[in-house]
Amino acid sequence: MQLHPMPDPASASQSSDTPSAAPTVRVLTVDDSASMRALLRSALASRGFNVEQCEDGQEALEWLARNEVDVIITDINMPRLDGFGLIEKLRTSAMHADRPILVLTTESSDEKKQRARQAGATGWIVKPFDADKLTTALRRVTHYHRTPVFQPPRPILTERPPSCAMN
Amino acid sequence: MSSYSPIQLAIADQSSPNDQPQRLIRITVVQGQARASADPSVEMNTILGSCVATCLFDPVARIGGMNHFLLAEPPKSAAADSFDSNYGLYLMELLVNEMLQLGAVKSRLKGRLYGGANINPDLGAIGSANAAFARDFLSREGIEKVFEDLEGARARRIQFRPASGLVRCREVAPVAAPTDKPLVRPQSALGNVELF
Repeated sequence: MQLHPMPDPASASQSSDTPSAAPTVRVLTVDDSASMRALLRSALASRGFNVEQCEDGQEALEWLARNEVDVIITDINMPRLDGFGLIEKLRTSAMHADRPILVLTTESSDEKKQRARQAGATGWIVKPFDADKLTTALRRVTHYHRTPVFQPPRPILTERPPSCAMN
Repeated sequence: MSSYSPIQLAIADQSSPNDQPQRLIRITVVQGQARASADPSVEMNTILGSCVATCLFDPVARIGGMNHFLLAEPPKSAAADSFDSNYGLYLMELLVNEMLQLGAVKSRLKGRLYGGANINPDLGAIGSANAAFARDFLSREGIEKVFEDLEGARARRIQFRPASGLVRCREVAPVAAPTDKPLVRPQSALGNVELF
């Protein structure tokens, strides 16, 4: 039950682009494997995502210079420009500096993960991916990315409930 | 029954002893693994029933690798994109990536496919399904398939020299093949997501 009236997000904006409206999320997947692209397209399109695809970092960089997406999923090991290089270049561009970028990779080493983090990746997902977990991650990062201007300020908790204890 | 001495059997994570560089290093590639090497003294071994092994070789860099997988039949409720082909793709990608890290070039790779026997009639054509997946992968990825010895009803022993690309395939008694059950992977480790 909502005890305190909150500002109606829809009235604060002409947009109906609220989280509950579940707008179509545009995803760019970057992977040099045709099989992996086909699998990702099938998994994401069937879950309601609008899927765009590039074959390596260089193609993605060129495509993203002219196109907008809500979130990028990139492999690491790719010819021409790898995932690290793609993330670093996007982070220096005004257009995509804040774009959520998830790394989807077979790499399991902590060193590679830290490198992706330092390059500016938003998250790290290890293959073989679970489509439902991937979907949850996509919804979460695009929710934060798309909606902050429409969100009412969060109530400040003066006391942290035990269930929210940091662990 | 094997002519292999257990003493000579090397686990993949153990590197060649520096004092014995000429010694043959045997690596057993079991189901769920992918290994690559450019070492001329390495020989990869595996025994296949319904499982499929992919041997990839870059003839210019003289780097080879092998994987060994068995895809599970997807549950009845699962969509066509269920994790089983996802798992096969994972092992294929693992193999290719291990080779690329050693200096192989994807466009130069040649593929050989082995296994996929339909040994147990009760399991249906699970071997053929695995063979079809492997053929389809090479075709999609533009990796030339130079040889296949797939399906049939006999188990196979594979010996692969990754640095030369040479493969020896012999039929063995079905009892020699490990139990053909898909690996049950820890579901908690599947597709873990970490947001930074």
